[in-house]
Amino acid sequence: MKKNMNVEDNVKKTLNVLDTINTIKAPPFFKDKTMQRLFAEKDVIASVSIWNWFSPQLQLATLVCVVLVNVYAVKQINNSEYDASISSFASDYGISTEQEYSLFNL
Amino acid sequence: MSETEFIVQLKNKSEQAYNKLLDDFQQKVYATCISFVPNTEDAEDVAQEVFVEVFKSIHKFNGVSKLSTWIYRITINKCLEFIRKKNTKKRFAFLQSITGNAIPMDKTSYFTDMNHPGVVLENKENSEIFFYAINKLPEAQRVVFTLHKIDGKSYKEVSEIIDKSVSSVESLMFRSKKNLHKLLENFYKNNN
Repeated sequence: MKKNMNVEDNVKKTLNVLDTINTIKAPPFFKDKTMQRLFAEKDVIASVSIWNWFSPQLQLATLVCVVLVNVYAVKQINNSEYDASISSFASDYGISTEQEYSLFNL
Repeated sequence: MSETEFIVQLKNKSEQAYNKLLDDFQQKVYATCISFVPNTEDAEDVAQEVFVEVFKSIHKFNGVSKLSTWIYRITINKCLEFIRKKNTKKRFAFLQSITGNAIPMDKTSYFTDMNHPGVVLENKENSEIFFYAINKLPEAQRVVFTLHKIDGKSYKEVSEIIDKSVSSVESLMFRSKKNLHKLLENFYKNNN
């Protein structure tokens, strides 16, 4: 019984703390420090804003395009028709290595 | 200068407008921060974060609510974010150091070193216990209790800030008081 009374007393005392908390003022120079931080951030934001248009979605789309173009190019290079057309083009214009003459080869 | 003009100036990042904003709100924002985070250094950091967020996000402010309400919402979000982060760190440290049992309501599980300049020295111990107990309340109850009882805002102001009706604020307040009482009772029963 006594223990319960003590507990109740302590709870009351603790809850009464609320009425004794004094209002406090912002720390000195808070405004100056914050202003300095805000306008330092402004410079950072301005320098970053050049690339603002290049959103993550655009970055992903660009990456996909580059990968697709590369895959297409690799496929074309590995294609045998491509080699044949290159060698016929080279022989037509006389730039094929097979038709090269050199004094050293004689 | 009307509020609309003032907001336009804030959106244009006018230094003069931010000077005025800080004059008007530094006290209020800091007071709310220290009510949630009872440590001078931490509260100052969080309050600064609030103004940085206002600076960055003012272009998103659509004027549906009052500027002050919007700033208070940012303040509460920043405070809760800070507490969540610190609590996670503490929980992680706790799990590393111990293998079982529920976390007791004590200094080791509290997210910061209690250092509230508004607390009278003779009440220091009781106020520490009081803040530890508040930290154990569910988030919605903690917000309402802190804003109304510690920061001294009216039910109407609280309802505008958390975007709920006055009756739900009252009900949250009732539940928070009841839970706080229970938490403190358990604490004193276990420690006597």
